[in-house]
Amino acid sequence: MTRVRVTAPLSAARPATASREAAEESEVGQLFVRSLIRTQLRLALVVAGGFLLVLGAFPLLLAAVPGLAGTRVAGIPFDWLLLGAGIYPVTGISAWLYIRSAARNEARYRDLAEDK
Amino acid sequence: MNPSVGLIAFVVVSVATAVIGFYGLRISRTTGDFYVASRTVPPWWNASAIGGEYLSAASFLGVAGLILLSGTDALWFPVGYTAGYLMLLLFVAAPLRRSGAYTIPDFTEARLDSRLVRRVTSVVVVVVGWLYIVPQLHGAALTIGITTGLPAWVGSVAVVIVVCLTVVAGGMRSITFVQAFQYWLKLTALAVPVLYIVFALAGTGSSAVAPAAVNPTGLAPAGPYQNISLLVALLFGTLGLPHVLVRFYTNPDGHSARRTTLIVLGLLSVFYLFPTAYGLIGRTFAPELARSGQADALVLLLPGQLIGGTAGDLLSALVVAGAFAAFLSTTSGLVVSLAGVISQDVLGGSVRGFRLAAVISAVVPLGFALATDSLALAGSVGLVFAFTASTVCPVLLLGIWWRGLTDTGAVAGMVTGGILCGGAMVAGSVLGAGTPFWLAQPAAWSVPAAFTVMVLVSRATKGRVPRTVARVMTRLHTPERPLVTER
Repeated sequence: MTRVRVTAPLSAARPATASREAAEESEVGQLFVRSLIRTQLRLALVVAGGFLLVLGAFPLLLAAVPGLAGTRVAGIPFDWLLLGAGIYPVTGISAWLYIRSAARNEARYRDLAEDK
Repeated sequence: MNPSVGLIAFVVVSVATAVIGFYGLRISRTTGDFYVASRTVPPWWNASAIGGEYLSAASFLGVAGLILLSGTDALWFPVGYTAGYLMLLLFVAAPLRRSGAYTIPDFTEARLDSRLVRRVTSVVVVVVGWLYIVPQLHGAALTIGITTGLPAWVGSVAVVIVVCLTVVAGGMRSITFVQAFQYWLKLTALAVPVLYIVFALAGTGSSAVAPAAVNPTGLAPAGPYQNISLLVALLFGTLGLPHVLVRFYTNPDGHSARRTTLIVLGLLSVFYLFPTAYGLIGRTFAPELARSGQADALVLLLPGQLIGGTAGDLLSALVVAGAFAAFLSTTSGLVVSLAGVISQDVLGGSVRGFRLAAVISAVVPLGFALATDSLALAGSVGLVFAFTASTVCPVLLLGIWWRGLTDTGAVAGMVTGGILCGGAMVAGSVLGAGTPFWLAQPAAWSVPAAFTVMVLVSRATKGRVPRTVARVMTRLHTPERPLVTER
């Protein structure tokens, strides 16, 4: 049995496409790349910020409405339901929205980079 | 509990792990096969494997135990463990995949064009891995001690032996199948007993008259500082875990790395409902476990205590099997990624070197584990996340998103974060229960400190920004292939 080490081919992970080479070399290409990075970073920060706001709102809601934490829904205290189960859909939805927008940003970049 | 139950469960899980490992090895033998196989691993398999590797002793035993001890405050642990993947998705997943780097040191070396940064990153990664293995071995010791009556150290030693054998023999190279199997085993092992208990309790009508969940320890609720600091550690610690990041390499491209992360989020969300349910049931029906100092064993003991008889034994066996799946999968994932780093940087990268490095990676933390007492499992893993968030996280985030990062800045930041957070951890273990709260949860100040130093020193050494930065940033952020198939 032969054993092989698996490491990353650093420089040639995959052949660079024509548009990638153009983007690396030309000044206009670099302009598009910078703008793509800025857009993606802004998107990531907005989604992260929105998620953290909702996350912070949960305990504040429980603290602001007295008696809410002890209310029972189907025998389970409401604060347990909110923190123990209610946050997961929020992460899922944030992630899904992010992926859609990130892919759209990349498609727009590709249109720009290939049209020039 | 019947002592043979625990032993049988452990042996079955170990054998299953080895068999799946070797079976998977046979179908992927050469480097070429491995790459082809890894390119065609469907996102579901890959996501299950990430889940399998990530859900450690802390998640399987520790979360329920901590919920039993501190109630809703402890719910921030599963929330943070899951939300950490959201941060990983937002800031790291696609660019890291596009970098083509297989390990974190590979990434920092390629990005900053510096051998020194590579070495410092390697040291940090090895420390993180060792710190993370120790609680797994504590969990194994606890499980063996409670379920079989054997001396507790047998559990730690057994896990290290099984991991070393499978990794050295090569079985763990086909790790995707093993880890994916172990995610589903862990989910089943928690879900079935919880559902059984819930239905049994509902059948006796006791849930309608269930006593209010009590606070069995009388611990004061954690203040906002502790909760926020914990969340900082968990949110930013996840995106630097070496064994998790390695798995992103098996995605074909950046977009599928994102899709895989989305599925992982779903899998973790489903999984963490069950430790939470365990904790709530334990707080209601078995609060005496918290007083006897066996909180971390809640998951193991509850089925026997509430169900009993043969059904109780069977459920216990299932839970013990799931627990060992957790110890084995996380430990072997860490050992493989540590051995990769150690053998490449110290031992020249040969296969012999890899085997030697694997044994070193597993035996050093075993020494730590045998020499130290188990803290609350979820708490000690939380500290490892704080350390990762203070060291690996800043260099990854700034490296991916900021052109101004320099090698000097990266090293200064990692060293600062490591010293601050490591110092707090040492001080905390020396001071014990008297540790002030800001020292017990260092992430809230050690993470910003590491970021600040990294940015300031990079600014001061502007001339050292690598000349390759434009090329690397383009590679990290531009999509790989035409998006005609995308909507």
